[in-house]
Amino acid sequence: MNVSRFDLWLGLPLAAVALLLPFTGPSDFLLNLATLVMIWAIFAIGFDFVFGLLGMVSFGHASFLGLGGYALALATQLWGLPFSAGLGLAIVAGALCAWLFSFFALRVSGIFFALVTLALSQLLYILADSKLRAWTGGADGLPGVERPGLGGIDFFDSTHFYWYVVAVFALVMAAVAVLRRSPFGRVIAGIRQNETRAEQLGFDVHRYKQITFIVSGAISGLAGALLASLLMYVNPQMLHWTTSGDVIIMTLLGGAGTLWGPVVGVLAFEVLKEWLSGWTQYWYGLLGLVFILATLFFPKGIVGELQERFGQWQDKAARRDGRSS
Amino acid sequence: MSTLIIGLSLGMLLFLLASGLTLIFGMLGVINFAHGALYMLGAYIAFDIGRHTGSFVAGLIGATVLVAAAGALIERLALRPLYNRPHFYQLILTFGVILVISELVKIVWGLGYQESTMPEALAGTVELFGSTIPVYRLFVIGFGALVSGGLFLLIEKSTFGMLVRAASSDGEMVRLLGLPVSSVRMAVFALGSGLAGLAGAIAAPLFPIELGMATNTIIDCFIVVILGGLGNIRGAVAASLLIGLVRALGYAYMPSWVDILTFALLIATLLTRPQGLFFRATRSA
Repeated sequence: MNVSRFDLWLGLPLAAVALLLPFTGPSDFLLNLATLVMIWAIFAIGFDFVFGLLGMVSFGHASFLGLGGYALALATQLWGLPFSAGLGLAIVAGALCAWLFSFFALRVSGIFFALVTLALSQLLYILADSKLRAWTGGADGLPGVERPGLGGIDFFDSTHFYWYVVAVFALVMAAVAVLRRSPFGRVIAGIRQNETRAEQLGFDVHRYKQITFIVSGAISGLAGALLASLLMYVNPQMLHWTTSGDVIIMTLLGGAGTLWGPVVGVLAFEVLKEWLSGWTQYWYGLLGLVFILATLFFPKGIVGELQERFGQWQDKAARRDGRSS
Repeated sequence: MSTLIIGLSLGMLLFLLASGLTLIFGMLGVINFAHGALYMLGAYIAFDIGRHTGSFVAGLIGATVLVAAAGALIERLALRPLYNRPHFYQLILTFGVILVISELVKIVWGLGYQESTMPEALAGTVELFGSTIPVYRLFVIGFGALVSGGLFLLIEKSTFGMLVRAASSDGEMVRLLGLPVSSVRMAVFALGSGLAGLAGAIAAPLFPIELGMATNTIIDCFIVVILGGLGNIRGAVAASLLIGLVRALGYAYMPSWVDILTFALLIATLLTRPQGLFFRATRSA
């Protein structure tokens, strides 16, 4: 099965929609929604490094996202750094936090890993909410988070900011696609399939896991900074463990471990949310129901299922060609 | 003295809560994220029954039975098809269950806080060792001890308990012996859920009843369950009492550090004894 061709087939229409959207005269609401989807998609892609590629369920990714947001807010507001430096700092903050978490979390595996990451991120949430109030603004959060400043372009304009996020998103996607196919990515996939075998082949499994976790944290931190910039606001809710739950829902809905799965998952989540919330105020519960059904009947997610169909279709086509020639 | 009593009562409440979670994990291998949501559901049901009938006992029984039924339903419809899949699917699925339960509670009882009234017979205070102790606190301690004792007898001594333990150690073999493993699993899940509902009903007169219970309480449960060792009921008793006492002391002397200290204890445990503070190499039940 040629996965990369499948990824291309799926990616091209998505890219086309993203590039053409600003020219269709969309409302600010739609543009901001699309921006939000891309930012959350970056988060989900980062998350899927640990979840889909490594096969470990982390309930701590809200920390990396939230820290990224706070890093940007503090860097630009408190220390007067430019936006790009704040963005860099957010990536570093996410990576550092993941690195710290890894010392605790990687000592255990399976369900314990989920619980340890959950405990650590709740500790951070409580700290941000209470002890670090002087820095984080406590439950009120920090308003007035900066937008990018680049060549005198006004990024408070929704369209301009949209293009900025498109560019970052494209970079992240490209980097992730390369990383997944790199020797490093293959080792990670190998570890998920059979950890013992990878260990026996001489790979330092712990080290690989740690690096994956850090990369995942860095991407999540980047997403957090962009999210804070889009909302022009950051508060401890970003650090709450339910944020980690949301990203799990999205990733699983789209298809964990596939290149486009997290992106499609976020898109589906946000579209469903908009559609359901226009229809009933009880959208979150309905979304939960959709999610339960999806977990039961489509555990591979939207993209995972599509990929399987695509593979079957290609096999069939190949067999047919083989007969006719 | 009153700090000790408060600590013990907090601990017993935590135990009621966490025992269901650890029971379900120990016997089914399922981490039930929705346990906090079931606890919340129990509190709301007890509150409503109490409001309409004026009877605390009716609320207690009603909440336990109804939440146990909800648990049975969740097990039958959502979890049973997932036992053969990796564990994290169950974990994640129960996260979806939280959303559904929270939404149902929102539909029935709305968004606001609810205040449950203390049953009259337990509303007073007594003088004990020179300090004034609310009777309800003593009731919580006694009731918790009673339930933990009952749970022990049920799991360790009864035929049902034997069946449950057998089904958890080798479900396939028990099935081949012609015993209804699926029903046993459903019963265990219902029992665990019922305990959450019972804890909710007991907690209802002590705390305001609100939607945040679903996501906040589960964290407390996890702390207890990790400290005690997953699936280890003895450990859960000890860990709950430990946490309860630490909290009560913390609230008395340095309230703003309580949560941070709790988590510090948790992380220290995970670093030094990831299998829990009270792990014993023998069977964990």
